[in-house]
Amino acid sequence: MSEQKIRKQDLKKVDDTLYEIPKGTRNFMRVPARLYADDALLEAALADLSVEQLVNTTALPGVVSHTLAMPDIHQGYGFPIGGVAATALPDGVISPGGIGYDINCGVRLLASNIHSEEFLRHRETVVDALARSVPTGVGRGGDVKVDRNEMDVVLREGARWAVKHGFGSQEDLSVTEEGGGFTTADPDAVSPKAKERGNDQLGTLGSGNHFLEVQEVAEIYDEEVARALGLFLGQITVLIHSGSRGLGHQVCTDYVQRFQKSLRTYGIELPDRELVCTPFNSPEGKEYWGAMQAAANFAWCNRQLLAHRVRAVFTETLKGKVKDAGLRQIYDVAHNIAKIEEYTIDGRKMKLCIHRKGATRAFPAGSPDLPPIYRSIGQPVLIPGSMGTESYVLIGQKGSIDATFGTTCHGAGRSLSRAAAKRGSRAEDVVRDLAKQGILVKGASMAGIVEEMPDAYKDVSRVVNIVHKAGIARKVARLRPLGVIKG
Amino acid sequence: MLDHTADLALRVYGDSLEELFANAATGMFAQMVDLSEVPLTVQRVVSVEGVDNESLLVAWLSELLYLRETHREAYTRFRVQFPAPDRLEGVAEGGPWQAFERPIKAVTFYGLRIEYQAGGYRATIVFDV
Repeated sequence: MSEQKIRKQDLKKVDDTLYEIPKGTRNFMRVPARLYADDALLEAALADLSVEQLVNTTALPGVVSHTLAMPDIHQGYGFPIGGVAATALPDGVISPGGIGYDINCGVRLLASNIHSEEFLRHRETVVDALARSVPTGVGRGGDVKVDRNEMDVVLREGARWAVKHGFGSQEDLSVTEEGGGFTTADPDAVSPKAKERGNDQLGTLGSGNHFLEVQEVAEIYDEEVARALGLFLGQITVLIHSGSRGLGHQVCTDYVQRFQKSLRTYGIELPDRELVCTPFNSPEGKEYWGAMQAAANFAWCNRQLLAHRVRAVFTETLKGKVKDAGLRQIYDVAHNIAKIEEYTIDGRKMKLCIHRKGATRAFPAGSPDLPPIYRSIGQPVLIPGSMGTESYVLIGQKGSIDATFGTTCHGAGRSLSRAAAKRGSRAEDVVRDLAKQGILVKGASMAGIVEEMPDAYKDVSRVVNIVHKAGIARKVARLRPLGVIKG
Repeated sequence: MLDHTADLALRVYGDSLEELFANAATGMFAQMVDLSEVPLTVQRVVSVEGVDNESLLVAWLSELLYLRETHREAYTRFRVQFPAPDRLEGVAEGGPWQAFERPIKAVTFYGLRIEYQAGGYRATIVFDV
């Protein structure tokens, strides 16, 4: 990997929200690299190797215009987390590191008609029931079992499979990115190993930074859009942050391994081995694209099943106690994914493979990919804070199409390593501190709680303010956690 | 255990390449379970390919993670052989294990270089947790 450290003087300040590393800064750069950040976040980014990783992405064959990182940038594998790179089809490359191991790690937001004042009386009951009822997949497997043939259907259909079997409604699919499933997924490109890993994990939350959170709407920044989304102050919402579990990880592992040979086959030279890639239209490239979509579908099916379980718990615990215990889906976004989208570059319409690694699509009003109910306001963007910190709802803006390949941030970036987090705190202290702030935490693993402590993450409100200022996505509402369930 | 902002990094050593690979596997499982408590009732055979030693190491450890997850087992003893420069055959010994405190999800190539120094091998491996 290119070990040369990028220094502050290598970056040119474009404006209050944006820095650029010019093309000539390293000899392997094909295009410039851009970083959305303010001065403080830039310092934090320069403290690890995330900026080097951003610069390395400019070496990808077929890369177009510029690569980017969002303000929640932090060190990842190959690509920084918060990284965005577009390659030109058909010959440009696809790189599994540009999507991540957890394919379609993403977020779903459900909204109720309950006010927090009313809900707090029942909070302990509801959170306990959620902790008992939602499978985390740590130790215990999922409750929805499928055989090998049915797994292929799940991979082909995604959330549509779940709805078909009674877990949720068509309406949910209309407010899910990609309708809850890529239609060109290729289950045959997913290895038997990956399917085996996924077998026991359908409908499970997962561990690490995945969580389920009951929240209240704490602040509204845009009254009009909030109303259009059906959000009101004090409203109880539920956020689900989860991905494709072992299946996605195995798909990434399989293809990262497979593409090691591709580098020699296609004569690709890279400053970092984790950027391993292959031309999109190569046989293995097409297979990975098919497999990635299938893994993404698994994650959407998962979130659909999890949402169904949450709805069941709300009904069971709150029926008769509140007027309406129902939960409506606001939206569901992916933040580790690749998409084929069209953009105009230097006056030319180009079909591009957009890699979003820890970055979220943020289409503006008017985009044909949006459901009719959102077409006039734009795409909701869901930004989870880390455990115990605030989350945000944003709305996509035209600035994203102009500058960032339709992309915005995904959440807070980690700044403390897990090892440092563990050295610093005890789970009981973390839980007690959060309880003092009025947040109930239930986790399957004490180590997991400490490693995910809020201080370990960069300030999500800072990150969100920058993308808001840059005109990429506008703030709509802030959500405050009331109860957290962790794997 | 080293500091890595994304996840978990381990530095491993071995007098031979075989020992390095065995130690890497032991180190990996040591992050997830108490090795002394794992029963030795099962043997799993592993056979993988790779373009170089680094990719063989990733393939070996990845295969162990896959076996762990699908069989719900932990392994504590390992033997490794290289029948050819691009092939590895190994055996992992262990037993049924349900509760993994911090399950490792994947092995990455991040910064991976197997180095030979002062009569021994060493490598730093980064895992996705």
